[in-house]
Amino acid sequence: MLTSKRSDRALPTFISLLVIGVLLMTFDVRLQGGGVVGVLRSGTQTIVAPLQRLSSYVVSPVASALDSLSNVASLQEQNATLSAQLAESQAALVAVQDQLAKLQLLEQIYDLETDEDALGRTIANVIGAVDAALIIDKGTRDGVLAGQPVIDTNGYVVGTVKSASIGSATILPIIATREGLTVLVGSQTGTLVSRAFSSELGLEMDLDVFDAREPVLAGDRVLTSAASTDYPAGLPVGEVLADASPESTSLTTTVRPFVDPAALRFVVVLAWPPDPVTAATDDTLPEVTTTTVDGAETSTTATTIQEDG
Amino acid sequence: MRSRTVLVIGVIVLIAVVIQTTLFGRLRIVTPDVVMLVGMLLALTRVRPEAVLAVAFVSGLIMDLLGASLIGTRAVVYTTVAYVAIRTRERAELGRVTIAVWAGLLTLVGITLLIVVGTLFGQARLVGGDAVSVMILVPLANLALAALLAPPFVRLVDRDRTALRYP
Repeated sequence: MLTSKRSDRALPTFISLLVIGVLLMTFDVRLQGGGVVGVLRSGTQTIVAPLQRLSSYVVSPVASALDSLSNVASLQEQNATLSAQLAESQAALVAVQDQLAKLQLLEQIYDLETDEDALGRTIANVIGAVDAALIIDKGTRDGVLAGQPVIDTNGYVVGTVKSASIGSATILPIIATREGLTVLVGSQTGTLVSRAFSSELGLEMDLDVFDAREPVLAGDRVLTSAASTDYPAGLPVGEVLADASPESTSLTTTVRPFVDPAALRFVVVLAWPPDPVTAATDDTLPEVTTTTVDGAETSTTATTIQEDG
Repeated sequence: MRSRTVLVIGVIVLIAVVIQTTLFGRLRIVTPDVVMLVGMLLALTRVRPEAVLAVAFVSGLIMDLLGASLIGTRAVVYTTVAYVAIRTRERAELGRVTIAVWAGLLTLVGITLLIVVGTLFGQARLVGGDAVSVMILVPLANLALAALLAPPFVRLVDRDRTALRYP
């Protein structure tokens, strides 16, 4: 029952907690997520992750059903578009398979060694989300470490691992990171910056090319650059939304990332860089494997980590 | 507080955190902030105000630790909302509708504070992509949830079956 009695200690307690809160925020900024803050994060994740995983098994179908209901109209339209794209992709696949067969034949003839993809991959379920961050059900036990790049099952860039505990990890998508991402558009290197810290919130990002030599066109693909220290080179990030020409020596345009983090159910964590010594010069494009998800989520939680030979 | 009350509140906060980060973290249409709501509804119980503030702070801190935002951001906001709830709880006594409106308005205050504090500390995406729709949808969802859950919540925490019964 309600009581009209008020404690005089409420105000001092409130002020004390506010001060503690601001101090914690300052510590977090100063420590940049490391040190005690990192330990606290991984400790909390370790405790809560099993409950989140359990809850995810129950609520995932409910969440998917409710999300689908809200998107019925657009889903029909998307279905038609995807069917057309599938037909085109199947035709392209047949052509690529022909080329692969020829390539293998030539490799056999000339006795060439194939360049095996050395990147380990961990496929993980997205079991939750807090703010823009995603929580996955794989952690340090599965080889997931803070700083590793994350892609979706189509190979598109999602973001990086912000923190990892034994059984779970937090993914920070590129659209919510403060740091710019070094990318490649055509032959030009630019920086992709999130709009999370501007007044225009949305999925789009800003692309700045400071040494622009040629215009970029709408539809141009944006890839990760070899100059990036966070991602392997050549991963698709997004596409340019509007044409832009160099003004003086710089160029600015808008890019829409291929991945909407809110719609993700599975992600792939890359064990990259495979070797810190070679990381700086690594320009390999990881072979992207397509993961088929046929309803049952448990069938896709297998972890595949290949040791770097 | 009795140990049973502490246990009940602990379990409620844990359930709220798990539901918020799993079910409501993935839905786009129904997006309440149940962890913030727990702090508000605790203000309607017999739990001491300083304990209510502490619970709000800790639950906000847990949310901060689970996400990628600065530690302390939600803790500060939830504590502030709980404090305003303690100071205004007499206005919610009139009935189920007033409790719902009270919770909705407090949530609006909380979301606004989140945006302000988040922007000040470079965490503008704290509330998600579209700040305007979040400022409308989250208070509405909390309003509806408060109308449904406030009476059973207070009865459960206070162990008083007569609590919040309106004619």
